[in-house]
Amino acid sequence: MIIKGKVWCFGDDIDTDQIYPGKYLPITDKQEMTLHAMEGAPGGEEFMNNVEPGDIVVAGKNFGCGSSREHAIVAIHGIGVSLVIARSFARIFHRNAVNTGLPIILFDGTGEIKQGDRLEVNIENGRISNLSQNKVYQGIAIAPLEMEIMKAGGLLDYLKKKD
Amino acid sequence: MTIIEKIFARAAGRDVKPGEYIWAKLNLVAMRDFGGPNVIQEYQNKFGEQPVFDKGKVAITFDLHIPARDEKVAVNQKFLREFAARQGVKLFDIDTGVGQHILFESGLAKPWDIIVGTDSHMNLLGGVGAAGFGMGTTDIAGAMYKGELYFRVPPTIKIEVTGVLKKLVTAKDIILFLLKTLKTDGALNRAVEFSGPTIDHLNLAERITMASMVTEMSGDIGFIQPNDEILDYIKARTEEKVETIGPDSDAAYEEIYEFKVDDLQPQIACPHSPDNVKDVKDIAKTKVDQVFIGSCTNGRFEDLNIAAQILKGNKIKPGIRLIVVPTTMEVAKKSLKQGLYDIFINAGAVVTNPGCALCTTGHPGILAPGEVMVSTSNRNFVGKLGKGAKVFLASPATAAATALTGVITDPREV
Repeated sequence: MIIKGKVWCFGDDIDTDQIYPGKYLPITDKQEMTLHAMEGAPGGEEFMNNVEPGDIVVAGKNFGCGSSREHAIVAIHGIGVSLVIARSFARIFHRNAVNTGLPIILFDGTGEIKQGDRLEVNIENGRISNLSQNKVYQGIAIAPLEMEIMKAGGLLDYLKKKD
Repeated sequence: MTIIEKIFARAAGRDVKPGEYIWAKLNLVAMRDFGGPNVIQEYQNKFGEQPVFDKGKVAITFDLHIPARDEKVAVNQKFLREFAARQGVKLFDIDTGVGQHILFESGLAKPWDIIVGTDSHMNLLGGVGAAGFGMGTTDIAGAMYKGELYFRVPPTIKIEVTGVLKKLVTAKDIILFLLKTLKTDGALNRAVEFSGPTIDHLNLAERITMASMVTEMSGDIGFIQPNDEILDYIKARTEEKVETIGPDSDAAYEEIYEFKVDDLQPQIACPHSPDNVKDVKDIAKTKVDQVFIGSCTNGRFEDLNIAAQILKGNKIKPGIRLIVVPTTMEVAKKSLKQGLYDIFINAGAVVTNPGCALCTTGHPGILAPGEVMVSTSNRNFVGKLGKGAKVFLASPATAAATALTGVITDPREV
């Protein structure tokens, strides 16, 4: 599966309070959650006002650390983010992404990717083509079981099929 | 095998290796007043009114916005109460306290158990030898339906602690010092085992403090092998068999760290990261507006008692606010009986109902821009307790001493 999009860069240790501030936790409407995507992160306001469907978030280490809130995934997925590439992901964020079908890729050299670059990414083999810089990088795709879950449409559909 | 490998091997019915994916049966599935409603919505969207996998193994705990702080929260809580009644699952309402603590106080969490819940600090259950995992809405909805989930077996890091702590230097100071050394991603996607003579002697509250802040190191879980005191505590609360759990003598660790704590000074995490840790004496005299003593990390009786002994017979500095929150109602009752409430109230503190309290915005007591708080909680991320506010993380002893002087203070100096 190939994903193409424009890059939004974020730093290291972007926690879930930055992706989705705690004061909005009582919200249960998924559409409403998207109004606060990345609201607490440096550069979040520009992101919220200008992000376009299909855009890609690129971040440093430990993306999505902090709380277990799935609101964080729902918000950035819902606002149109098609893929998150990071040097590393917090465990819960990683699971939430797989379980809800938001593609993610691990890549150690995210520092080479610049804000606004256009990428073409194969999420199954981890190949990242930077069309703006004319470079190709090798990232790490999610595990085979996780890919199966994602392809089934997420964990709940996967579990239903498993019955 | 390490502790986590043994737990997963038993659940999978075969030996396991770090890095592999397994399906494991769950002993308990928990959710809270926040996150919980989203779980039920997901569950009902996919599975309608189908019964949960085992109604005795699902628990709902109310600990964040309690009593309901606004209409939206009230609607969410009503939704959960109605679901619990229809499905016949256990619900611990607003008079109980922090969920994970309720799970072990009520005997629902015990060594060897695999427990999942919608709280990122579920891993504090490693303090009683249970494998607690914080998870998102979809995982918990799936867990409630199926009673099993997939896991990646994490490699294990061993942290050996030796030495005798100086007076008023506590488990919180140890874990803050470890965070300073290992940093917020020091245990990323790893299990942690704490061991060594210093750890063996820790009481329940201290074990919980250590295990809870493995979350801040991005670890999956932090274990401490239960000693007789912990086993007796759990045995008194469950009919089920309670066995201790420890690593095999030939367990393979990804890394082993050794720390000596004889000379450890009181530690404090400065804004805005739990690993931005300094000796308290190095930032002493920083002016403070509010002090919070409580949370899932440091609000048990032993924590409150250390603070109370420092506050006893004294008044907090005029102009400073001190908020004390017992972690659970059991802790509150014991504190009341032992005279801690009198000490706190006479010192000028506000004591509120048990729960998570000042963990995140959305709870009464948050800060105005520019204000400074010393908190015994576990996180001090930017904006987590109010835009433009600064939060320092410290032990109950340091927090109490700071409340007396109005500036960050080494507890041995009051």
